[in-house]
Amino acid sequence: MFKDISEVKSALAAQQYIATDEIATVVYLAQKLQKPLLVEGPAGVGKTELAKAWAGAAKQELIRLQCYEGLDETKALYEWEYAKQMLYTQLLRDKLHDLLSDSKTLAEAADKLADEEDVFFSKRFLLPRPLLRAIVSETPTHLLIDEIDRADAEFEAFLLEVLSDFQISVPELGTIKAQHLPVVILTSNNTRELSEALKRRCLYLYIDYPTAEAELRIVKLKVPDLSPQLAKQAVELVQRLRKLDLKKHPSVSETIDWARALVMLNSKSLDQKTLENTLTVLLKHEHDVMRAQRLLSEFTIGDEKEEGEDDDDDDTVPPLPRRSSPKR
Amino acid sequence: MEDRIVEFVNGLRAAGVRISLAESADAFRATEHIGIIDRGMFRAALRATLVKDSVDVPTFERLFPLYFGSGGPPMFDPNQELSSDDINKLKDAVRDLLGDDDRLQQLLRYLLEGANPTREEMERLANQAGVPLARHPYQQQWLTRRMLRQLGLDEEFQELMAQLFQKLEQMGMSREAMQRLAQIAEENLQRLEEQFEQYVGMQIAQNAAKQPRERQTFRGPDLMNRSFSSLNEREIAELRNQIRRLASRLRSRAALRQRRGKRGALDSKRTIRANLRHASIPIELKHRRRHLKPKLVLICDISTSVRAVVEFMLRLVYELQDQIHSARSFVFIDDIRDVSAEFAQHRPEIAVQKVLDDNPPGYYNTNLGYALTHFCKEHLGTVDHRTTVIILGDGRNNYASPRLDSFQEIKKRARKVVWFNPENRRQWGTGDSDMLVYEPLCDSVHIVGKLAELAEAIDHLFESR
Repeated sequence: MFKDISEVKSALAAQQYIATDEIATVVYLAQKLQKPLLVEGPAGVGKTELAKAWAGAAKQELIRLQCYEGLDETKALYEWEYAKQMLYTQLLRDKLHDLLSDSKTLAEAADKLADEEDVFFSKRFLLPRPLLRAIVSETPTHLLIDEIDRADAEFEAFLLEVLSDFQISVPELGTIKAQHLPVVILTSNNTRELSEALKRRCLYLYIDYPTAEAELRIVKLKVPDLSPQLAKQAVELVQRLRKLDLKKHPSVSETIDWARALVMLNSKSLDQKTLENTLTVLLKHEHDVMRAQRLLSEFTIGDEKEEGEDDDDDDTVPPLPRRSSPKR
Repeated sequence: MEDRIVEFVNGLRAAGVRISLAESADAFRATEHIGIIDRGMFRAALRATLVKDSVDVPTFERLFPLYFGSGGPPMFDPNQELSSDDINKLKDAVRDLLGDDDRLQQLLRYLLEGANPTREEMERLANQAGVPLARHPYQQQWLTRRMLRQLGLDEEFQELMAQLFQKLEQMGMSREAMQRLAQIAEENLQRLEEQFEQYVGMQIAQNAAKQPRERQTFRGPDLMNRSFSSLNEREIAELRNQIRRLASRLRSRAALRQRRGKRGALDSKRTIRANLRHASIPIELKHRRRHLKPKLVLICDISTSVRAVVEFMLRLVYELQDQIHSARSFVFIDDIRDVSAEFAQHRPEIAVQKVLDDNPPGYYNTNLGYALTHFCKEHLGTVDHRTTVIILGDGRNNYASPRLDSFQEIKKRARKVVWFNPENRRQWGTGDSDMLVYEPLCDSVHIVGKLAELAEAIDHLFESR
């Protein structure tokens, strides 16, 4: 349990996750109000990473449920382990024989067998999937439901039920109630409208691409080997690419990959050749790469021009400021 | 403070954000934990509890400073900067220049002495400027300017300032002091404007919240159910933004159908393998999967009457590329033209725009019959037994021959011929419509007057068989 927001922030930072004030506040709130947290944002801004860092900071196990089209209860909740049941039946055949041998009629034998039914439908043969695991866990856990927007609406409705009271009924066993309420984090890439009901139950956090400053801090943290100068240039370039109309914008994780690539290639500066060689780390569509290359030829030239202008400005006396800050 | 949050929630609702009772209760609980000292955290707390859709974030960001703003930066007090001698000179000069013009005195008091306008003064100015009637955010700037004008800030004021400075110079104020004073006046003018702007914005939001909620801002589902012909430019633009969303919804349904479609024959090899662990008792059955992605040929009428539908249709189909084996597109007004190349080169939204721009609507004679004949002559090779041919148009032929022979020929080769018609069934067969003649020859006919219907019709294409 975090005591205040700054503690959240430092704890996440210790997990190598740089949280903005907003993220830290919402994480703190989610924990205080014991509500699921729905995190939205473009792909690769660190939604899943936040969940991992949070669980790491709280020193709790992270149980992850990756959603996909056609995900159903047997994959999310539990499944009976047929094979194991079968194996046990085979191995216990003698024992069963002993048990049933003294019964005279078929009905009697069947009754006897029915009495032993519980053996075969016990927790022993229950294969817990992520949701059930989070519920039956002895220790408090974090449950990450990743990319909920990819699952179908029916699954979402089912999830709603689980999230509202954290209990599950298994017909053969009865109702299982959570010993500890897990911390629930849902992520969504917003490819599909989620239901109002689900949203209502969650706190909402929208993570956008970070500002240049924040991204630079992230790169420096994750790729400390990259020279500060180069890191700055790289981040600036990525920020520019995000302003373009591309099929897929480079994400933070791709920036990090790219920074690592630059380190690997031992690049000293972002010259044309390095860019051409490594651009595919950032951009994953042929069309985007072509567009970016067109921009880059302008980028390198434009950069020099800007610097030149700066120099000029320093020499001449600036005109009387129209609006000066009061402290000056 | 609690009242303020309630007002804020009302303001958000008035601006079209859906907030349930439970959510506003959450907001209160959240503020209990967070407190209101740190404004950034307070904002984050309200945002996390009240706004659940990224579309609504800008509304929140717009309204938050209005309700929980500082009311604008306070005026800057020149007393700290200027010597008391200069201040006295300034006061004298102002008195000499204005005599007893109250209004301007007031303005100069704000600008040069750093007085902050009181609540009452603000209210009075706002009433004069007509703020109580305003209900739309875009009126904010205009009303702010009106309030400043009420205060006497107009062209003459510039002159007055020039005179004032002349006077000060005569009185022997130093150049630096005068320059500083001018800066202060400029700065204070900005701040005054900001104060007014916030005040006006807040009032507008409150006015809007008081209004009975007649019309919600547009939301997807409503637009989807409006007929294309009744949409205006703005609404069409809105729909364009939603098309990608819609496409991904259709895509997931199509993909799901592929997955669930266990209509294939029993796959004995996979069944045996899967059931080895059950001592070869066939508990899990495995079926042969059928991956039948549709192959499409689209023939689209792009005369004025059906343009909007065509645009959405083409965009949807090409956004769904990955669920389609292949798609060839043809457009016609009087003659048919292959536009597949455009889609191969550009992204769907650009390609659609290009196709429509290249074929401007005009006084062509729409002639489907001729287009079909030409299609048979030139492009019949694109149709085979796996192809679904979709004709999108209103079937209005300008009294030319419908050329059913060409239509039959296409139908013979194709797996299915589907017709999408944006017109109501009632209108078929009226005037130059040949729809009733074509209809019996089609495998199915869909009416696609609204986006919802179009989406459904496209969804049908993915049903196997």
